[in-house]
Amino acid sequence: MNQTISKIRSFIFENFLFDADESALGNNDSFLEQGIIDSTGILELVDWLEETFTIKVLDEELIPENLDSVTKLADFIGKKSC
Amino acid sequence: MSQQTICTNCILPATFPGISFDETGVCNHCQKYRGKKATGEIKKKYEEKFLDLISHEKRSSTYDVLMAYSGGKDSTYTLDVFVNRYKLRVLTLVFDNAFISPKAEKNIKKVCAALSVDTLFVRPSPKTLYRIFRTAAQEELYSAKTLERASTICTSCIGMVKAIVLRTAIEKEIPFVGFGWSPGQAPVQSSVMKTNASLMQTTQKAIFGPLHNIVGDVINPYFVTAEQFAHPEKFPWNIHPLSFLEYDEGNIIKRIKEIGWEKPDDTDPNSSNCILNAFANHVHRKKYNFHPYVWEIANMVREGVMTRDEGLEKIEPPEDQKMVEYSKEKLMADG
Repeated sequence: MNQTISKIRSFIFENFLFDADESALGNNDSFLEQGIIDSTGILELVDWLEETFTIKVLDEELIPENLDSVTKLADFIGKKSC
Repeated sequence: MSQQTICTNCILPATFPGISFDETGVCNHCQKYRGKKATGEIKKKYEEKFLDLISHEKRSSTYDVLMAYSGGKDSTYTLDVFVNRYKLRVLTLVFDNAFISPKAEKNIKKVCAALSVDTLFVRPSPKTLYRIFRTAAQEELYSAKTLERASTICTSCIGMVKAIVLRTAIEKEIPFVGFGWSPGQAPVQSSVMKTNASLMQTTQKAIFGPLHNIVGDVINPYFVTAEQFAHPEKFPWNIHPLSFLEYDEGNIIKRIKEIGWEKPDDTDPNSSNCILNAFANHVHRKKYNFHPYVWEIANMVREGVMTRDEGLEKIEPPEDQKMVEYSKEKLMADG
């Protein structure tokens, strides 16, 4: 789980927050409400998830409950990888 | 020619956010690139998915597709595809942002008449739009990531277009909404996708919030309401066929000329419908030192849709100063 969280954080900082400080993102912060990721960014995120964790994200799984924070993403990846 | 460091494989410059280069001058985006994401086989799969949906979706409404139509090259071709390739009943929605080029307006009329499709014009008050665009030229309204893909002016305009198209489709119970996104603008994976109400509700806030701060409640009629979000079953499918069909600019222009489209000479090279684009690009380049179309065009270069030289040609020349001044004066005069 910790490894997954660390991978997600690296991806978010590298692709969405750029040079921001580590404290700019809490693991429960909403990507969408804080404007870190927008609707197009979600597709980029899904592309990365599928490639990195070898999972398939279905259309109906594209919901904030699965994708909208570091913790939610890690939980979602955990469930999908079972 | 530009003096700044540019990826030796695509066209991303050293000023692009988060970029790095290896010893051969290839950027991190090209290094991560694993070959064409949209192979012929994958594209075929998405077209089949769309064809399957066409045959299953109820056709109780008057129209099958609500198409976001700008009169530009890509959306004209997409409209032709919906009408002639898929034989669908299309309603076009034209969002008049107060800067549609006269040539594009002519194209809209001619093409819609040639294809016998109905057109719905959505024309917000120019005063409202000027206030939005003027603020977007001066302030950072959205997330840092949006700056990679478009100018803040374009993001504001497109945000309104996407919202009003969705709202209208829900109101008119139209099962599909169509967009002419090029392969560089949207991945094939999103080319046939059910609009997710809960995701849209959250992402809409990112656009609605800043625009509402600028102009207040007059912006409300252009966005999806809370009541509409409560009925996710009424949300349409999102279709952008240019991601799953072959994209060849030469062939596209050849085809749309057959239905009356003429290449406008009153817009900048990256737009075939909007006069404001030159000003929007100029502001973005001045502020961030990279062209707002560079991400989209770099994607197309990487995917082989155009050559690196063709890509550079689209982003290197400075904007036409007359066009920049025209929009600037129009926006500032109404202050």
